[in-house]
Amino acid sequence: MTRIGLRLALAYRSNIVFMMVTLVAQVFLLRMIWTAVYGARTEAAGITLPQLLAYLTLANLQVFAMNTQVSRIISHRIRTGTVFFDLARPVGFMRQMTAFQAGNTLGGLLLLLPVVPVVLLVGSITAPAHLPGYVVTLVLGYAITVELALLISLIGFWTLETVWVAVLFRLVSQFFAGTMVPLAFFPGFLGALADVLPFKYMGYVPAGVYIGHITELVPTVLGELAWAAGLALLLQLIWSRAHRRVVIQGG
Amino acid sequence: MLQYRMNSVIGILTGAVWQGTGFAFIWVVMHTFPSLAGWGLAEIAFLYGLRLTAHGVAMIPLMALHNIEFLVREGEFDRYLLRPLNPLVQVLGNRLGLAQVGDLLVGVALLVVAGQSTGIEWGPWPLIVCVVAIVSGALIEGAFFLALCSLSLRLLDTYALRSFVDEAFSTFGSYPLKIFGSVVEWLLTYVLPVAFVAYVPASVVLGKLDGTWALAGPVLGVILMALGYQVWRGQLKHYQSVGS
Repeated sequence: MTRIGLRLALAYRSNIVFMMVTLVAQVFLLRMIWTAVYGARTEAAGITLPQLLAYLTLANLQVFAMNTQVSRIISHRIRTGTVFFDLARPVGFMRQMTAFQAGNTLGGLLLLLPVVPVVLLVGSITAPAHLPGYVVTLVLGYAITVELALLISLIGFWTLETVWVAVLFRLVSQFFAGTMVPLAFFPGFLGALADVLPFKYMGYVPAGVYIGHITELVPTVLGELAWAAGLALLLQLIWSRAHRRVVIQGG
Repeated sequence: MLQYRMNSVIGILTGAVWQGTGFAFIWVVMHTFPSLAGWGLAEIAFLYGLRLTAHGVAMIPLMALHNIEFLVREGEFDRYLLRPLNPLVQVLGNRLGLAQVGDLLVGVALLVVAGQSTGIEWGPWPLIVCVVAIVSGALIEGAFFLALCSLSLRLLDTYALRSFVDEAFSTFGSYPLKIFGSVVEWLLTYVLPVAFVAYVPASVVLGKLDGTWALAGPVLGVILMALGYQVWRGQLKHYQSVGS
């Protein structure tokens, strides 16, 4: 499954090239907008402009690399009925799909690697304030991202149509991940909401640790662990109900 | 299309949320920073709404062309050539852009709300400039889309290129172009005329630019659309079926 995921990522190269052009354009856009609004100010909300630019560059790279395909694959397999073969295998379905996503991410990273210097150049980067902290929060953030994607795709066992749901989910999650604005700038209610949601672990939290904006590492990592464990539990629970509901289309 | 009513609603909703999060970004930024290159929140909202409305007007009818590679490859397109009706009209009749209906709704809503809080004196003149700007903006964006889709009639896959041009119009077109630096501003004015969709007409309505500039958009729009249609006709003349 891991190998299939990796191959699939490499097979859709032209699509990925376009997405990378978009990534570079997005980072450029953000850099120009933020530079313009900062103007003569040196810092806002405790973040200096160089820190902010490094944050935006990293957060966008992260979310790009963490983009999951697993919902689309599961939705397709449910619709065509091929999910039956997955269920017949001796390895659990959730484990197969996790392995698929891991391979897919790896393939995406291989393609992303040559673009990283371009993105760093168009954006900007600083030395990490806390590298081990960044790696730990990033890995946990990835685990949470995959769990959320699996949860979304399980909806397909009930409604059979999840493409739009997945698109909506991606839009909302990217916004609350803080890829365009660090959560520190979110006003009032919006800030509270973004803080409660787990999407911040995809972008804001690791990138914030990297630039030294988030310094309380222990509670941050504990919070991430709690989310990862809670989502794993929820996933088990929903999956045990979902796979009793398998409806094979056609016949 | 209406058989899938639920899907249609979700499609429109997705378009609206897409643009909603795009604008939410500006709103959040300008909550802390009151001015972006001399433009206030209401003024940016007006610019954003103008661009989005023009985009919706252009893409709702043209969206069916996005499938052109598929139509050609599957031989579907050959059927259109047999019927006594302009093949372009037949392709466009296939379906409407639903997500773009969402774009249009958000765009018009932004225009109405922002239009009232920018302090523009709404006489007939600004209103005419706005309506003309929406139509000519739609013509400009539509012309590029039509021309690029036409190239696909001869089995040249322009899907990625089209998506990129669309991206340029939508991401850069919604901001005051001068923040991107003079090179990019020049490119987006004279190479890919994104500036004339919303930046120039919004500047005129908001009193940041001389009124005569309002004429540039419509002239450019009509010329570009005529050229776009010529490209379509030219490519159609050389159309060869994929065979079977």
